[in-house]
Amino acid sequence: MDISVLLFYGLSFIVLCFALAVVVSNNPVYSAFYLAITMVSLAFVYFILQAYFIAGVQLIVYAGAVMVLFVMVLMMFDLKKEKDSFSKGRMSNFLKVSSVGWLWGLIAGAIYMSSDLLSMGATLHNKDGVGTTTKDLAKLLYTDYIFAFELLGLLLLLIAVGAVAVSRIKGGTHA
Amino acid sequence: MGSDLFEISVNLIKMIIIFVMMVQLVPLLVWVERRGSAFIQNRLGPNRIGPLGLTQLLADAVKFIFKEEFIPEKTKKFIFYAAPVVSLIPAALAFGAIPLSMPINIEAFTMFGESYGPYRFAFQSFELGIGIVFVLGISSLGPYAMLMAGWASNNKYSLLGALRACAQSISYELALGLSIVGVLLLYGTFDFSEMIAAQQGPLNFMWFGKEVTLGFLPNWGIFYQPLGAIIFLTAVFAETNRTPFDLPEAEAELVAGYHTEYSGLKMNMFYIGEYGHMMAASALMAVFYFGGYDIPFVTAEDVNAGVTWFGQAIDPLLTTVASWAPFVGDSLAEALGFSANKAAIGTAFVFHIAMFAKILFFLWVFVWVRWTIPRFRYDQLMDLGWKTMLPWALFNTIITAIVIFIMRTNWS
Repeated sequence: MDISVLLFYGLSFIVLCFALAVVVSNNPVYSAFYLAITMVSLAFVYFILQAYFIAGVQLIVYAGAVMVLFVMVLMMFDLKKEKDSFSKGRMSNFLKVSSVGWLWGLIAGAIYMSSDLLSMGATLHNKDGVGTTTKDLAKLLYTDYIFAFELLGLLLLLIAVGAVAVSRIKGGTHA
Repeated sequence: MGSDLFEISVNLIKMIIIFVMMVQLVPLLVWVERRGSAFIQNRLGPNRIGPLGLTQLLADAVKFIFKEEFIPEKTKKFIFYAAPVVSLIPAALAFGAIPLSMPINIEAFTMFGESYGPYRFAFQSFELGIGIVFVLGISSLGPYAMLMAGWASNNKYSLLGALRACAQSISYELALGLSIVGVLLLYGTFDFSEMIAAQQGPLNFMWFGKEVTLGFLPNWGIFYQPLGAIIFLTAVFAETNRTPFDLPEAEAELVAGYHTEYSGLKMNMFYIGEYGHMMAASALMAVFYFGGYDIPFVTAEDVNAGVTWFGQAIDPLLTTVASWAPFVGDSLAEALGFSANKAAIGTAFVFHIAMFAKILFFLWVFVWVRWTIPRFRYDQLMDLGWKTMLPWALFNTIITAIVIFIMRTNWS
C-alpha cells in the first residue's frame, strides 16, 4: 500500500471525527475550534490529493480567515441562555428531528448521485497533471465559468455592503 | 521524501537542522533586541554576564526551564497547554518552506562500497510548488494560538489582548495578501525558487516591448515594486504584533495581552513563535524584493569557480594532514579530498550566507523600528489597515497589472 493512501484515509478519518465533534460538542467555542481543525485537516487532504492550490486557498480563506472570525465572535458572547433555549422546547425539538431527516436525505442523495462518479473516477484521474496547476484553474475560471465567477464576486460585494449598512444602523463606536 | 535511504535521511536531517536553526536564533535575537534597544536609548543593556552579556541568554534559558509552573484556576487546561505549541507550529512550517540557498546538485558517488545515484537537495525543509500560497495559509493559522491562549486563561486582559491581536491580524492579512499580488504578477509564479531565479543578473525589463538592461543595478523586485515592498513590510509588522502595532501586548492597558497568565517555558514558546514569524517574514521580504539568495553581480558559476579554486588550493594540505592520522588516515584523506560535490555544497553555503545576511538585516530592522516608533492607538491602527493600506495595495495591484500589460506588449 502506498503511504499517501494511508495518509489519505487517516486524515479523512480525522476530518470525520472532528466534524462529528463539532455537532456533538456542548460548548460553542469548542465547536468552533473543532470546525477549525476540520478545515485544516481538509486542506491537508487536498494536499495529499495533489490539489495544492485548492489546499492553500482552503488554508488561507476557511481555516485562516473565516474560522478565526467565527472563533473570535463566539468568544465575545456568553452563550448560556441561547444554548438552553436551543436545547429545550417543542419548537427546537421539531427543528432537530426534521434536520436529522434532512441530513439523512442529503447523505442518501449524495451516495446515490455520486455512485456514477466511481466509474467516472478512472477517467477523471489524470496522470499527467492536466488541470491541476493554478494556471489551468485560472483559465477555466476566466473562460468557461466567467459568468458564475463574476456573479459570485458581485454577491460578495453585496454582502460586504449589506454588512456595513447593517452595522451602521444603530451607530457603532465609529458612527 | 526521497527514493532511497540516503535521500530520505538527508531530507529528515535537513528538516531538523532548519527547525533547530530557527529555534536557536531566538536567544540571539533576544540579546540583539535588548542590546539594540539599549544602544538606541543610550543605555547599556545586559552586559554583566559573560562577554558582551552573551551568556545572559543561557541564564535566561535556565530560568525559563526551572521557573515554577503556575496555572490559574478555572482555566481550560487542554487549550491552555496547547496554545504555546500551536503558536510555534505555523512559524516553523512557514520558515521551513522558504529556500535559504540554491539547491545542491549531487552527482553519483560511492560510499562504503555502495553507489548512490545523483540527487538534488533543496536548501529548505520541504519544497512545495505553491510556496507562497502555503506560507500565507500556514501563517494565517497564527491567530488561533493567541485566541486559544487568551480564551483559556480565564482572564479579561488575556481575552481582550487575544481579540485585539486577532482582529489586527485579520485586518492586515488583506493588505499583506494584496501587496504580494504585484510580485506574483511580475514573476508569474508561486514558487520561491523560480522567483529568485527571475531576480538574477542585472536590472532587465521590458520598456514598451523593447528589452532594456541597466547594468549597474541588480534585478531585484524592490525596483519594480517599491510600493508593494513598503506595504508588505508594514503589514508584516502588524502580523507579527511588533511595535508600532503591538496593541495586543500594550503593557499600559492590558498587562501583557494574551500571554499574561503564561510563565516559564510556555511563555518562551510564545516568544519563539513570535520571533519565528519575524524570521519567516524577513526571509519572505528577502525573497520577494531583495533577490533571495542572489549576490548582486555574481553568478552561481563564479561562486562555484571560486569555491573550486579554494578547495583545490587547500586540498593537498588537508589530505596530507589527514593521512597522518593513525589507522584511518587513508579513508579520512579520501573523505576530505576535494570533489565536485563538495564544490556544490560550498557554493550553496556561500549563497546561504548571502540569504542569511539579508534575513539578519530585516530582523535588525524589526528591532530598530520597535525601539524608534511609538505605539499606535487602536482606532488609528484599524484606520491605517483598512482605509490606507488596503486601498494602496489594491492600487498597486491594478497599476502593476496595467503596466505589465502595456510594457510587455510588442508595440513595434
